Amino acid sequence: MTERPSVLVPIRVLEDESLPEGTTELLAKAHVVLLGYHVIPEQTAPGQARMQFEDQALSRLDAYEELLVDAGATVDQRLVFTHDAQQTIDRQIAEYDCLAALVPRALAAVEDVLVAVRGTVGLDRLARVVGGLFADRGIDVTLYHVTSEDESDADVEVLLDGVIDRMDENGFDTDHVDTRTDRDVKPVDAIADLAETYDVVVMGESDSSLSTFVFGMPADQVAERFLGPVLVVQREPAADPEASDADDQP
Amino acid sequence: MADSSETGEGTGQNIEGERPEPEPETVTEETTTHDEGVELERTIGLVGGLAIGIGTMIGAGIFVFPGLAAYQAGPAAALSFAIGGVIALLVALPASELATAMPRSGGGYYFISRSLGTAGGAIVGLGLWLGLVFAAAFYLVGLGHYVVAVLDEIGVALTLGPIPPHVVLGLIAGAALTALSVGGTERTAALQNGIVVILLVILTGVLTFGVLDALGVFGRQSVPDTFFSKGYFPVLSTAALVFTSYLGFAQVATVAGEIKQPSRNLPLAMIGSVIIVTVFYAVTILVATSTFGADRLGQFGETAMVNVGRDLLGLPGAVLILVAGLLATFSSANASILSASRSIYALSRDALLPRKASEINLKYGTPHVALAMAGGPILVLVATDSVEILAEVASFLHLVMYALICVALLVLRRRDPDWYEPDFRMPGAPALPAIGAVASIALIPFMNGASIVIGIVIMALSYGWYRYYAPDIRLKGDI
Repeated sequence: MTERPSVLVPIRVLEDESLPEGTTELLAKAHVVLLGYHVIPEQTAPGQARMQFEDQALSRLDAYEELLVDAGATVDQRLVFTHDAQQTIDRQIAEYDCLAALVPRALAAVEDVLVAVRGTVGLDRLARVVGGLFADRGIDVTLYHVTSEDESDADVEVLLDGVIDRMDENGFDTDHVDTRTDRDVKPVDAIADLAETYDVVVMGESDSSLSTFVFGMPADQVAERFLGPVLVVQREPAADPEASDADDQP
Repeated sequence: MADSSETGEGTGQNIEGERPEPEPETVTEETTTHDEGVELERTIGLVGGLAIGIGTMIGAGIFVFPGLAAYQAGPAAALSFAIGGVIALLVALPASELATAMPRSGGGYYFISRSLGTAGGAIVGLGLWLGLVFAAAFYLVGLGHYVVAVLDEIGVALTLGPIPPHVVLGLIAGAALTALSVGGTERTAALQNGIVVILLVILTGVLTFGVLDALGVFGRQSVPDTFFSKGYFPVLSTAALVFTSYLGFAQVATVAGEIKQPSRNLPLAMIGSVIIVTVFYAVTILVATSTFGADRLGQFGETAMVNVGRDLLGLPGAVLILVAGLLATFSSANASILSASRSIYALSRDALLPRKASEINLKYGTPHVALAMAGGPILVLVATDSVEILAEVASFLHLVMYALICVALLVLRRRDPDWYEPDFRMPGAPALPAIGAVASIALIPFMNGASIVIGIVIMALSYGWYRYYAPDIRLKGDI
């Protein structure tokens, strides 16, 4: 028995961004946090946009929610008017403790999933997402790792076996798991290239560093090149009390 | 967190049959939450709040008024600014308390309509809109003067027929700003923050030099002057004139619904910005009057600070002040136009103005009707070119609001309704807010007769509008 992994699905609901084809199937076993958001310029008060657009946005979100529920997902729905999309998305992830966020894109069918495994951090959450979403559905998963210079092949084997074990614990039939490694390639390029033969990419959110600040998060870079959906597994929330300060959900 | 579910609702409808929008269910540190999981994200931090306050205020006090004030009050103009600062602080304290109890957009209008009722709210709300329109026009005339001064510096003398060039430039700037607000979707807030930082850096540099100079560190002779060279009365009338330099902190409250962690950031931004600008103003006047003496300073008019900069630091000093003056008057005008548009939204949300007034443009996502309702009258007022009247009417309308904010605090403290749970409680109540109310009103008689008449007429028309358009709307306690 596995838990439903909670997945944030952000939709720019008033800019004709709809729930892409195939998303319902992809997230059939998820607990979906369906976030409709609308970014408004700073000259406009968020409440002003709400007054004018709330009904339209809510009716669209309700329609999406119905599709997701019909496919088997459970859904929490939010509509947010904001000046800052990133802040809104980050806050929803924290408030709902989402395991992953979806970069919503259309897909035909969920048959092959590419899972990029970076390091030892966050493997537990990665396995929970993959196991929870894709177990018992005849879906094939490829674990992919780009070996760095200071890693031996044995290290990588231990790493990937660890992931497989955890997926097993999360109910995923290990016969459907394949592994693949590469050396001397740039991870982002390699993942994006390889992804073309897959339906979905699952990868971790990386720690912010100077290079992610300059070039963007690897997950974003992959998402930019890969045309299908990307599930970005979120870091463990920081254990500081500030983060849960404003947490007053019903 | 301030949960406010047990409160009354706005009732009644205006003559078009529109009703006040229902109020949100809860207000958290990061959002305003309506039912059905609809949230409004709070995105302005402490720095953004301070930048709105300081950015709105500093344009007038430092770059337009010193010459005019020194002309009227002599070196004691510094005291006029200090009086303004004290009054502003006396109002910023209750305004902060009210804002933490009601962190909703609309500022003074919101506090007063919810605590004192719709009539007071309508007078203050419409007055706030028009007060900001007068203030923006005043800043734009100042901006025009600075552009003329810049052109002067590079040897270009504009002659534009019978209309003074600074008015034409002010009109162009006003039209451009309005158009930019409607059509621009760039991150204007980041720009505003940057401008304020640059301004404070330039001012700190020039003023530090000026203070050292005045103390004789550089061995120059500063101009000795009798402090009350014009007598005592002009100190107060000048305080009334320059009070326009202290309107900005209330603008922080007009975006209270968008401030993150409102219980902490609203008081800090409002009180902090008043204290910061008061210090800057007082030092500026002292430096300016000690550099030239009040009489000569007075002759330089709106751009007197350019001469001060030049005298202290030569051409680079003049250039620095010119750049700062352009940025400051621009940012003040911009902030005022945006706040005016927010006030119109707040009124329209409560059905005191047609809902149409806060309509959002589908192409740009901006409130084009509200912005036009700000920009249009601003242009008319810029064309009048009467700096002092514009400034005083703006001050008049704000002072009325300030007095009522103090009254609202006293009333709420006494009545103590269930929903009134401010996170910040001002010290010294009821004495300080009572003094704040009296002091705000007491400043008004020192203004020009014309300003007072215009102000009263606007208030009367506002009340008339309320009686005609929305006499049945009840907003008291509708949190």
